[in-house]
Amino acid sequence: MKAIRSLFDTFRKHFEEDGRLKKLRPLFDATESFFFIPGDVPRVSPHVRDSIDLKRFMSVVIIAILPTLLWGIYNTGYHSLLASGRDTTLVNALTRGMYVVIPIVFVSYAVGFFWEVVFATIRKHPISEGFLVTGLLFPLTLPPTVPLWQVAMGVSFGVVIGKEIFGGTGRNFLNPALTGRAFLFFAYPARMSGDAVWIASGATAAPTVDAVSGATPLACTTATNPAQTIETALTEAGYTFARLFEGQYPGSIGGTSTLLCLIGAIVLIVTGVASYRIIAGGVIGVLVTGFLLNMVSTGSSSAWFSLNPFYHLVMGGFAFGITYMATDPVSAPGTTHSKWIYGFFIGALTVLIRVVNPAYPEGIMMAILFMNLFAPLLDTIEIRLRLSKRIPNV
Amino acid sequence: MALSLNHMIPVSVKNGYDINCEGKPLSEVLALVPPTHVALLPERIPYIKPRLLVKTGGRVKTGTPLVEDKRNPDIQFMSPGSGIIESIDFGPRRVIKKIVVKCDNEESRERFDSHSEQDIQNIPAKRLVRAIMKGGLWALMRQLPFRDIADPEHVPPAIFVRLENSEPFHPEPDMYLDGRADLFQYGMNVLHRLADRVFVYAGSHSHADSKTFQENVTHCVKGKYPADDPGVFLYHIKKGSDENQSWYINGQDVLLVAALLKNGTYPVERMVTVAGSMASRGLHLKTRMGVPVSHLVPGSSETDKSRYIAGGLLHGYAVDPDSYLGFYETSITVIPKGNEKEFFGFARPGINKPSYSKTFLSVFNNRPLIMDSNMHGEERACINCGTCTTVCPVEILPQFTIKAILADELEDALAHGVLDCVECGLCSYVCPSKIEICDILKTFRQNYYKETCESHTIII
Repeated sequence: MKAIRSLFDTFRKHFEEDGRLKKLRPLFDATESFFFIPGDVPRVSPHVRDSIDLKRFMSVVIIAILPTLLWGIYNTGYHSLLASGRDTTLVNALTRGMYVVIPIVFVSYAVGFFWEVVFATIRKHPISEGFLVTGLLFPLTLPPTVPLWQVAMGVSFGVVIGKEIFGGTGRNFLNPALTGRAFLFFAYPARMSGDAVWIASGATAAPTVDAVSGATPLACTTATNPAQTIETALTEAGYTFARLFEGQYPGSIGGTSTLLCLIGAIVLIVTGVASYRIIAGGVIGVLVTGFLLNMVSTGSSSAWFSLNPFYHLVMGGFAFGITYMATDPVSAPGTTHSKWIYGFFIGALTVLIRVVNPAYPEGIMMAILFMNLFAPLLDTIEIRLRLSKRIPNV
Repeated sequence: MALSLNHMIPVSVKNGYDINCEGKPLSEVLALVPPTHVALLPERIPYIKPRLLVKTGGRVKTGTPLVEDKRNPDIQFMSPGSGIIESIDFGPRRVIKKIVVKCDNEESRERFDSHSEQDIQNIPAKRLVRAIMKGGLWALMRQLPFRDIADPEHVPPAIFVRLENSEPFHPEPDMYLDGRADLFQYGMNVLHRLADRVFVYAGSHSHADSKTFQENVTHCVKGKYPADDPGVFLYHIKKGSDENQSWYINGQDVLLVAALLKNGTYPVERMVTVAGSMASRGLHLKTRMGVPVSHLVPGSSETDKSRYIAGGLLHGYAVDPDSYLGFYETSITVIPKGNEKEFFGFARPGINKPSYSKTFLSVFNNRPLIMDSNMHGEERACINCGTCTTVCPVEILPQFTIKAILADELEDALAHGVLDCVECGLCSYVCPSKIEICDILKTFRQNYYKETCESHTIII
């Protein structure tokens, strides 16, 4: 610890006002404050301050994401090995998964961090911890087959267009990770739509991998013949409810396991980092909309209308999105009732997009980005209502 | 014996937070020997424009006016001791920082009119106000929402008497009221002459035995800090905006006003708490106004490691140990300065890290924790987490209000209720982005006051 301390003290002079590297001051500060909480004391009252800071806040989010990351690594490796007909033991699967996933995560962090440093240097503001979360969430929404250059494109778009041009962390109205994901979805639809199964092959895999035919659960439902319910179609394809819940099926890296997202959600709610109102609102939104659609479904309507609403909770990326993306406090509303409404409509829109417009099998991404746009409006309305009840004091 | 709650109106305050800080003072009173020096700190009296009435080397008695307020020269501040003016310290822009009096041995006092119980009931209220002003204690009466000295020309909608302060750490009412019930009753009679409605409120955990205490209490406030702040009390009981300009006075100050009118001399007795984990003893001290900090906290050698806070952990201001206690202050808290860099601070389990959030293991630790004066992080952009809203006792939405202020949207900020703000400091305390929310609100309030209300009073 003393060695690290003196290392920083030695190099600090190069980053100060007359140092050669003064432009990189934010980078130096970010690195130093990662190791050491500064010894600053309050300039004004109150003279005691809470122990929490943004690093702690974001660390909790990272901890809540880790289970899905680990599962993503295992699941990717497992399906890659399975497709190439190799041994799928735990160690093999993890090794194989790390081989596929780590480069994606690394590229996401490296490229995104580059943009953060560029903007922090130009604007002379500190590097915010928010990117630690964005840089990990973004790769988890991607299919393991994504080329690394697309990861770089997506994260660049997410950070620059989704966040920095509006002023950086705290001023973005869209979730940066989802903005990047949406960019890839529309720019490279063939790889992103989820129609074809996402099984990482990689150079060392058997050539037969390219011939694997299959579909992600959401995609296989679009191919359902009208006489069959989606539940049976899923079951026939091997995607039982239990399996969808537990998450051992090909899909985006981190989004398959509803179980682990639930664990993440519990961590976030218990620590108070994420709003339970948004998550609960989202689940209610899915179920209510699902049941309503069940009621209006007739024989002639698509099989999606009569799908058991609980399937919506475990299919696709809903669990991942509502847990980690919708609860991003910056792009979500800041008032209590609005959070319920915001969550509810994310759930409702997810189901509507899936059911009414099966051309987009994944509704949660669009639903969250759409509600991001409405968050300021919801806040404005709730604040006005709240203020009208106050006894004026002017 | 607990307070009998049957005749009291309950007031419950939903938001707030009790900071569980190590170093609570004992319920034990120690009478201090008289200090050699006392001082008046005009710098620490909000809003006044002081004009000096004395010179260095001049002789003063206890109760001789030292400064007057240029806005209203009848409002004067008196010498808290008798002796010779040893020094007058000026700060930047000729701010009068302190006027130090070297005490002599015989305590000679200025004489004012004394009033019997009968006089209090019979003389006009205006004359009572005059008498308090002449005696130099009118400044103890404060007017909401800006907490300036009350405007003596007006009859207030109500006067609130604040008996206790749940902020760490202030004197408890049982301590300062002990044996002084008659004087308190006398003071209450005075207040009843000044306004039609006089409310005395106490927290639900009050346990003063005195019958006087119980008879006078009208409201019982339930809630966490700062539920017993007069601004919070007003916010929860007011029915219309005409009540916004209510007055308030602290329980201990009622005793001072009473003593002044009853005896005709300037009273200087103060009950002060010294507390905090770095204080060698946490006690209630019986001492006098304007006492040196070093007299209260002896052996204050480790000044580079301790922070001295006058007036409570959250409201208070930092003082040097060689400074003095201000006119209003009744508490000194000494905590570790915490100006060391902590290795991997954000990643520690934090069983001993005090936090409002539930992100440290200290959630499971109910013991009082040692709090230092470190920022515990760097300032970042607001991430709209809304924690400040959950603690705000007057239900402002601080994260939106400060944005209105920073965008110069004056009307919006006022509509948000920024004048209801009681400057409790909880928003700044809990903020994970370390934004000085309370300071932004406070600065806005002061500027707004200076631009509007002050222009109505005569400035000479």
